[in-house]
Amino acid sequence: MSRRFYPSRALSIAHKEVRHITRDPFTLAWAFGLPVIMVLFFGYVIDFNVREVRLVAADRDATRASRELLTILRASGYFRLLPPVPGQEIQTGMVQEKTKGVLIIEPGFGKDLGAGRPAQVQVLLDGADNSTSGLILSYLGGIQQAAAARLSGAAARAPLTFSTRYLFNPELNSHWFVIPGLAVVVMGILSIILTALTVAREWETGSMELLLSTPVRPLEIILGKLAPYLGLVLITVGLIYLVARLQFGVPFRGSHLLYLLGVILFLTLCLAQGLLISVAARQQTLAVQLSFIAGLLPALLMSGFIFPIESMPAFFQYLTFVLPPRWFVAMSRGLFLKGAGVFELALPLGMLTMLNLLIVAGALRAFKTDLEPRRAKGRTEGK
Amino acid sequence: MNATIKGFIRKEFIQTLRDPRMRILIFAAPIIQLTIFGYAISNEIRNIRLAASFQPGDVLAERLFERALSSRWFLPARVSGQDPFTWVQSGQADAVLVAPTGGLTRQIQRGQTQVQLLVDATNVLRARAVERYLQATAAAVAADLQPGAVPVPAMTFDIRMLYNPSMETSFFLVPGVMVMLLCIITVLLTSMALVREKELGTFETLIAAPLKNWEILLGKTLPFLVLSMVLVHLILLAAVLLFGLPMRGAYWKFLAAALMFVCSTISVGTFISTIARRQQQAMMATFLFLFPALMLSGMFFPIENMPGGLILVAYLNPLKYMLTLMRNILLKGGDDWVFWSNLAALAVLAVVAVAGSFNRFRQTLN
Repeated sequence: MSRRFYPSRALSIAHKEVRHITRDPFTLAWAFGLPVIMVLFFGYVIDFNVREVRLVAADRDATRASRELLTILRASGYFRLLPPVPGQEIQTGMVQEKTKGVLIIEPGFGKDLGAGRPAQVQVLLDGADNSTSGLILSYLGGIQQAAAARLSGAAARAPLTFSTRYLFNPELNSHWFVIPGLAVVVMGILSIILTALTVAREWETGSMELLLSTPVRPLEIILGKLAPYLGLVLITVGLIYLVARLQFGVPFRGSHLLYLLGVILFLTLCLAQGLLISVAARQQTLAVQLSFIAGLLPALLMSGFIFPIESMPAFFQYLTFVLPPRWFVAMSRGLFLKGAGVFELALPLGMLTMLNLLIVAGALRAFKTDLEPRRAKGRTEGK
Repeated sequence: MNATIKGFIRKEFIQTLRDPRMRILIFAAPIIQLTIFGYAISNEIRNIRLAASFQPGDVLAERLFERALSSRWFLPARVSGQDPFTWVQSGQADAVLVAPTGGLTRQIQRGQTQVQLLVDATNVLRARAVERYLQATAAAVAADLQPGAVPVPAMTFDIRMLYNPSMETSFFLVPGVMVMLLCIITVLLTSMALVREKELGTFETLIAAPLKNWEILLGKTLPFLVLSMVLVHLILLAAVLLFGLPMRGAYWKFLAAALMFVCSTISVGTFISTIARRQQQAMMATFLFLFPALMLSGMFFPIENMPGGLILVAYLNPLKYMLTLMRNILLKGGDDWVFWSNLAALAVLAVVAVAGSFNRFRQTLN
């Protein structure tokens, strides 16, 4: 076996792989169509603004003041007020998942207000659903001052108010926040699965052994196998980019060149991860399981895509450092919305590069040691 | 049950559990992931990096800033340079309080009460939280300054959180992670099972064996059902022991819900297995099912107000029903109406998927 690296051999492997891909319309449709559909679909679906939350409102006071409060709540558009079911305990609606909260205006509310005494409204919220309850909390907080002013007739004079400027996303558009992150998650998981499966398939059908017995070197095989997929996913990224810009009007304020660099770094990482998985699994069922468990869940939950990294305990914040999507989500948001430059993105870029070196080296090593007869034999016994 | 099918089921068991890597993947990985995600993720926004720009000697602005930092929500941002805007743009700070040039203390005395706030709104959820938290801080500062002068608001909301009084995020998220893990494992395992036989060519042998269609399907799914029910208990144990999740409902309700859920996901997996010709296709179909199912489970964002037609997709999602069931049984003690209606929904999904698999299976044979 010659020790030199011949690009032409890698090229012919790549050529073969390209023909494989183009022959199978299923793979093509999957690689191009699915990510775009996912981004479109979830772009529309994900919305952090809840309107018309169902609240049971029990007006036990039944005065002009209490009725006015209910009108204010209704007019805010955030709540749909339901009457309490007669003869039933007031919390029952929450246990039955029919409402997210209960609002109780006790008798004497109107009298207290009229007499200038502080009046209270009791609110019970469903703590089993934090995300909705958190939103209700903030809506109520927003309404409280205005409602107090209107009910008491006194002008609201807040001691300190903020004139807030929401930078980079002045209308607090959910799409702008979600789509750059969503694109990363979808792209990442798809490229991991795609490679893990293709290479695992070669092992499973035995054609990998065949390939290895030819004079082609492992590095040439890897590059040849991965390059077409890199090209494929790059086209997909372009499509997703168009959807984000044209369909959702997400601005792109940074440098496209920097974005391309980030995309390539991130995708090679995902492809190398897929390769590692396929070497470890050597079997498609296992490879898919591993890809989902090691690729999908961390990307969804710990990349900062939705759940904030800053809120994690310190140890877990450091743990996210090894997750490529964490860095690329940060980079993507910076480039799309903030127009961040090389200096601001130095950390994500540096981390992506470092992880790349580590994982690509790891994948190469695993691939090589896997060829040694001793270990290969131990593995095949398990089948 | 005759000896043939018993033997067949036994073989499936052995085949699945023989590979040590598979054993780790089925039993250890979910527990490890539940632990990591349970401790790590939370949907509460904390540790927001706050900076302030004010003249030296502006007592009020300083007090507001310090008060904010002493809450558990904010951290001081390390900033360099003069321009507050660049602090936010460079990512050194998530929010900046900008006192007016004349000083906030002076301005307040003149009766103007506005403070400028710059917020990085790339994260919509965080941007909202910043303003809410700071408003609370400002009210506290004002009350401190002149206790008498600030009128007590005429009306306040007295808010109590039921079922989770300390707003423990793990109470909310751990059931979600439990259901997600369970769903991924079961759907993946079953969706690959039959296709693998097809791809390796052993499917023909299977058909030639003296087994009826339903016996083949049963043999291919029953082992996974048993394994998943073992896994359910491991996960529940971890959730209760590690995260102190209360188990307020009846155990039989939990068991029934878990069983019905696993039945429905396994049926979906089997259905995928019968329509796909190769493992690659099976995996693609699995992804097509799993990704939306996870996203629309109600764990990541509220699904109540999804736009019209799309809500239908949410109703086809076994995860949505299971998550409702788990939260209801674990945290609220399990309401009968919720229990039976969601269980019925899962059952319908399972029956439809099983019928579909049968249909497809017969077609494959002809």
